[in-house]
Amino acid sequence: MLGVRRSCGRTAIGALRQAGSSKLLFPRQDGPEKDAVLINTAGGVTSGDMFEFDGRAEAQTHLTLTTQAAERAYKANGPEPARIRSRLHVAAGATVHWLPQETILFNGCCVDRQLLVQVEPGATLLLAETLVFGRHAMGETLASATFRDRIEIRQGRTPVFVDAFSLAGDVAAQVNRRFGLAGSGATTVLALFGPKAEAALSALRDALPETAGASLVRDDLLVARILAPDSFVLRKTLVPILNTLTDNRLPRPWMI
Amino acid sequence: MATATEQQILTLTQWVSPAFPVGSYAYSHGLEWMVESGQVSDSASLSGWLSDILEVGSGRADILFLAAAYRVMTPDELLEVDALCRAFAGSAERLKETELQGQAFSRAIADIWDPGMPTLAYPVAVGWAARQADLPLDLTARMFLHAVMSNLVSAAMRLVPLGQTDGQGVIHTFTPICSEIAAASVASDLSTLSSSAILADIAAMKHETQYSRIFRT
Repeated sequence: MLGVRRSCGRTAIGALRQAGSSKLLFPRQDGPEKDAVLINTAGGVTSGDMFEFDGRAEAQTHLTLTTQAAERAYKANGPEPARIRSRLHVAAGATVHWLPQETILFNGCCVDRQLLVQVEPGATLLLAETLVFGRHAMGETLASATFRDRIEIRQGRTPVFVDAFSLAGDVAAQVNRRFGLAGSGATTVLALFGPKAEAALSALRDALPETAGASLVRDDLLVARILAPDSFVLRKTLVPILNTLTDNRLPRPWMI
Repeated sequence: MATATEQQILTLTQWVSPAFPVGSYAYSHGLEWMVESGQVSDSASLSGWLSDILEVGSGRADILFLAAAYRVMTPDELLEVDALCRAFAGSAERLKETELQGQAFSRAIADIWDPGMPTLAYPVAVGWAARQADLPLDLTARMFLHAVMSNLVSAAMRLVPLGQTDGQGVIHTFTPICSEIAAASVASDLSTLSSSAILADIAAMKHETQYSRIFRT
């Protein structure tokens, strides 16, 4: 659990609680923003795991959250899914960048993941979640997996953006659907909520490859989707985009 | 499942007919971009696109929304289903499609059947109107999805273009598939909401900047 508040013109840690194999690291930095790096000391998730993260950004703060490394969804050794529950609260005038590195789905993984973001009017949220289907470096193609993912942005009780994605059963066939994932090795969903959404559309569109699209769904919500052959190609597209959208403040783990 | 009466079947036939003032003919659901970019060019590629949309994309999701609207217990719950349906739209034209068709459908229902009909997103409006008119959910879902599919094939016939016989052949092939998807989705609920028809979603986004177009989406 992490809470940040405004103090002497800077974003300061107001509350911090860590337990289990979830740790938070704060790279030393100057400037008014705060970067936090989530570390899973277990190196990945497997069946029966429960990972929870709560992040609160109070008014006029600027918080960037990322992960130290790609999250690995290991082969499950039991019927229970790994559960990942992340909740963010972005107060009025606050900015949160939720930019974890990719999640790699291993053969036989079983994961149930939810990200719920509460935004107040005047808040800014940038989020990007990348999924990688199998360990390509090892020549693996994803054949079996049970994966459920849900991303929600809410204003009060009203959902503003809901993305729900799942893989189950004959996963290879599902990934190969020509107008679905089109045999891609990796995909990203990106959302930018807040007053800067509209102005960001044109540059974002220009930066996208052929197998990607962007849309201003509402005045304050920009959404993009990218399909790529593998995570390396996807990163080559995504890193410049995130650099633009964060004013070149992409946290250090992304640079490696 | 109770057997539908002739009156119920005819009411649903009217609601999902291309003559009903919803304007479905103006929406291609991103197909216009698929044709422009050469990814849909004949019956076979059209069938691939349709099955991905219907089985793992918006087709299945729309039936989940329709069934959820049919089953709500309170007015608040109806508004929640409606808000979820809009938030799930995912791109400007998808949102336009569900909002404008929903608005037109809701208005027609309010004018002719039920003055209390609120303005809802398209599948939510159909589910709620069916419940108010005491029409069977299962048949409503099947006929709605069949109409959505027929409308997309009709768009393909104009865009590809595809001959009448080819188009009707695709509709014939997809009729039992739509029934199966509708029945399975009605047996499920919104906790299983999901879409992995990503390339189809991307096409809907790219349609926004397509230079020459005759469809609204």
